[in-house]
Amino acid sequence: MGFIRLVVFGFIGLSVIYLSVSVYSRSVRKERLEKQFDADHSEGAAEGARDAFVAEGMQAYNRSIRPKLIGLVYIVPTVVIATIIYTINAN
Amino acid sequence: MKRFKTIVRVIFLLIVGLFFHYVLPQHDVVKVTSTEIIRTDFSPYNRIFYAQADAGASEQPTRDLRLINTQKRKTFLLGFIPRDSEGVMVYRNEDTGWIWPPYFKFDSSDLQAEAANLARGDEWAVITHYGWRIRWASIYPNAVGVRTIEGPDVRIIPWFNIFFFIFFMVALLFIRAMWRQFRERSVDPLLDAAGDQLDEVQAGVAARKGRVSRWLGTWRDKNKNRPVE
Repeated sequence: MGFIRLVVFGFIGLSVIYLSVSVYSRSVRKERLEKQFDADHSEGAAEGARDAFVAEGMQAYNRSIRPKLIGLVYIVPTVVIATIIYTINAN
Repeated sequence: MKRFKTIVRVIFLLIVGLFFHYVLPQHDVVKVTSTEIIRTDFSPYNRIFYAQADAGASEQPTRDLRLINTQKRKTFLLGFIPRDSEGVMVYRNEDTGWIWPPYFKFDSSDLQAEAANLARGDEWAVITHYGWRIRWASIYPNAVGVRTIEGPDVRIIPWFNIFFFIFFMVALLFIRAMWRQFRERSVDPLLDAAGDQLDEVQAGVAARKGRVSRWLGTWRDKNKNRPVE
């Protein structure tokens, strides 16, 4: 019973962390892309070029390994708990 | 107001510190003298300081409690400064089970057997435990592990606590960074947009009226100057 409770609430808690970390990561990347564009085009650019640049950068981000690494949020605590269970209970 | 804030902050830090002091593992240098089992009826006051029944058993209002009696080396400053004097210390030995505190300890019986084995001889051992001994409330620290050592003068490095606090600081800084990013990118633009409109409406009013007279205005009869029909 306790195990099921741990799994359910652990999953909910980790999902909250996962979602906030991915939102944060996307937001940081988007801000960096915007700043990069502004630095490169200091004296005005074509209409919509900034949005296109940012959208392209975000697509590249989605394809990269970074967003997949956020999945470690689920894996690391599971490994840590398994390690604790082993070290505490092994003779 | 400033003093009040400081007091609230100090109380908050104190509670967090006590919480960590209760939950995080500590190491005692002891000689196990005996083990015993007592029947325990928990009161509403000290129930929170006990774990639940053994991981595979069902919870009853009363149950047996494993205890480990020891002769302990006393220390100063949370165990950082060793002393030569000794005193008795009694540990309970309960399964923490799956939830809280997250030690995931299921081997209370094995630990009791180890302690019983140590009690036969005169060896020094390190007991890892969490919790407090509060005598007037019959509360014991919970032993989670025991290992033998050469002599009583060992240097114990609390690796787990070191890594835990590093992780804790990193997590706090990360949450702070996330919060700032969220404010900067999501909340502030919204507030700016709303604030601009509000400002335009209020600018004229605020310039003429002081804060007190505005507050007084909320008490005035709103219908006083209405034309009588």
